[in-house]
Amino acid sequence: MVDYFKELIGGTISLATGLWITFKYMWQPVITLQYPRQSVKMTRRHRSHIELARDSETGEVKCIVCGMCQRACPSNCITVIGEKSEGAKKKVLTKYILNYNTCSLCGMCVENCKPEAITFSDEYNMAGYRKEDFIMDLKKRFDEKNPKSAAATHNVAGGLKEDITRTSSN
Amino acid sequence: MIRDKIKKEMAALSPVAMLETEHAAKGYDLDVRVSPDQVVAAAEIMDRAGFFIEAVTGVDWLLEAKAAPPKPKAPSEAGEQPEGGGAAEEAAPTAPEMEVVYDFNIASELCRVVVRTRIPRDNPELPTIQQVYPGANWHERETHDFFGIKFVGHPNLTPFLLPEDADFHPLLKG
Amino acid sequence: MRQLIESQSDETFILNLGPQHPSTHGVLRVKLQLDGEYIVEAEPVLGYCHRMHEKMGENRTFAQFMPNCGRMDYLSALAYNHGYVCAVEKAAGIEVPERAEWLRVITVELNRISSHLLWFGAYLLDLGGFTPLLYAFDDRERLLDILDTVTGSRLTYCYFRFGGVYNDIDENFVPAVREFVARMRTRLPMYHKLVTKNIILMKRLEGIGPVSAEMVRKYGATGPVARGSGVSYDVRKNEPYSVYPEVDFDVPVYSEGDSMARYKVRMDEIEQSLRIIEQGLNRLPEGPVMAPKAPKILKPPKGDFYQAVEAARGSFGVRLVSDGTNTPYRLKLRSPSYSNLSLFGEAAQGMLIADAIALLGSLDLVIPEIDR
Ligand code: SF4
Ligand code: SF4
Repeated sequence: MVDYFKELIGGTISLATGLWITFKYMWQPVITLQYPRQSVKMTRRHRSHIELARDSETGEVKCIVCGMCQRACPSNCITVIGEKSEGAKKKVLTKYILNYNTCSLCGMCVENCKPEAITFSDEYNMAGYRKEDFIMDLKKRFDEKNPKSAAATHNVAGGLKEDITRTSSN
Repeated sequence: MIRDKIKKEMAALSPVAMLETEHAAKGYDLDVRVSPDQVVAAAEIMDRAGFFIEAVTGVDWLLEAKAAPPKPKAPSEAGEQPEGGGAAEEAAPTAPEMEVVYDFNIASELCRVVVRTRIPRDNPELPTIQQVYPGANWHERETHDFFGIKFVGHPNLTPFLLPEDADFHPLLKG
Repeated sequence: MRQLIESQSDETFILNLGPQHPSTHGVLRVKLQLDGEYIVEAEPVLGYCHRMHEKMGENRTFAQFMPNCGRMDYLSALAYNHGYVCAVEKAAGIEVPERAEWLRVITVELNRISSHLLWFGAYLLDLGGFTPLLYAFDDRERLLDILDTVTGSRLTYCYFRFGGVYNDIDENFVPAVREFVARMRTRLPMYHKLVTKNIILMKRLEGIGPVSAEMVRKYGATGPVARGSGVSYDVRKNEPYSVYPEVDFDVPVYSEGDSMARYKVRMDEIEQSLRIIEQGLNRLPEGPVMAPKAPKILKPPKGDFYQAVEAARGSFGVRLVSDGTNTPYRLKLRSPSYSNLSLFGEAAQGMLIADAIALLGSLDLVIPEIDR
């Protein structure tokens, strides 16, 4: 009988304590964000999908089309296509296809790239209706972001433009 | 030390091979290789000594047999085949074999014991130890899933992690 | 309850718990044979999230398997990273610089706290309390931010490399972690006041789902499940790896074996992890975070190697059979929840279905880790 009342009183106190804590927290600043209208800024090292880095001197991609990233990728989601134009010594990157559907964001490609030609973007808000939306041509993305160099590369790319239109048409 | 105790008891089974290994280098302390019909007895020894079962798994040594094809005239030469994963081999396997590995561990001190056995690849059968360690039930079922090894006496060897109608064993080599 | 099974009427029926059920945390299905509200037989059905990681391991190089580790137990991905890199380093004989070892320990412990916090919130949600989840996620969010700054991802970390870690911490890391530790120290008593001492929780957990030490041994359960049943087994203490031997921490053990004991073990472990992190920060040496001579293409010698680490759910083991090439010959991944769940069938016999949920939650299951 004594135990019963002890438990009753103890239990009531424990519940009241809990309620009191909740009550106190009610007046504390809000810690959540109103997501679609506000969003968090990602940290500096955040690894989202990869992107081609820009050479600060030439304004071109740093990639030398060595294919190391393609070989290192565990998910086989990179295809690097380069072209050797006549007279030129080195290959020039024409397409850099990333199949973001299967990318595991591991960073093996970035680590294995000697000239540091790829970096991570901090874009995390990616949504699409079809999985084809995420087969991206990073070279095209790069050109869109750095329009200055676009004219030059498109000449090199020649007729390649057509078959990559699927990648980011939406 | 419990390792010596286990060693003594295992020696009574006259195992195929027994090897003390260095924990820092290998990750386990005792490596016992028994014949397939002794696994239950070995499990009972471990059970009596208070060990718990950590895992049961298999290794398909098909590629090993391929790498060192049995030479008809000089069996001693075939000894260069890959080391059977710890336990010393005394003769090269003539037919491809599969290995079943039992990991035992004990909470009270540092002693991890590996019991392994080899069974022919074309007739992979050995007795179950799930009556000794009920926890082995799932591990054996998983091993059956992945390797097609039959644990005789196991109550339920239907596909577990694989789809219900799976008729393949993914971890088989070749 | 036990008599009930003996005097079983014919009118049992089968109920599927899952594969889509909030309390199974993923895609676990438990086939329950019920007699009224009592469980006659419970049979977990697995494989809904099976991806055959072990086979994937045989098909790619050692380094390429790294991202897979984080996808088994996505809640304590770093511990899995740790187990795998330790196994490969053991096989290949790679020395890890001390700074990297400490960084590994600090981040793994942070990850352990975040895993326990998620469990804490989700478990109470199973039991019908909604608010604790929000508190837990508030803390966990801070942790994820900290781990994001150093590892680059928020959940499926892939931070460790053979011979070190991916990159060094930045100057904000240490103050941020210190702040978190201080904050967590004030939050933990609040959790205890809010939840642990709550009469409803006590009534729902005490004496529910008893697991005996013998059962733990027979089923090979490890981690908080074993420690809640009086088995003092913690890989960090029993089989020290990395720099854990130099760290001073206790292994919380409760002998009751009920769900409450497992709950308390995890709550105490958060405190112990904070201690480890603090020591790690104090002792973090300067120096490289990557072994200078770590080979790019790994070809460990022939043989088989075993490495166990203490993940948030118990002992995670990697058995690596190497044939001297740059891919593993066989990679066995021993996941703790697999063994922990295997005792559910026996433990749940004769329980009320609502209590079985309490037991299932207290095992802290992560299904992709069980299914691998
Ligand atoms: S590794 Fe770097 S340089 Fe080589 S192809 Fe890939 S992105 Fe280009
Ligand atoms: S992050 Fe990993 S998976 Fe993604 S493209 Fe790079 S190497 Fe491939």
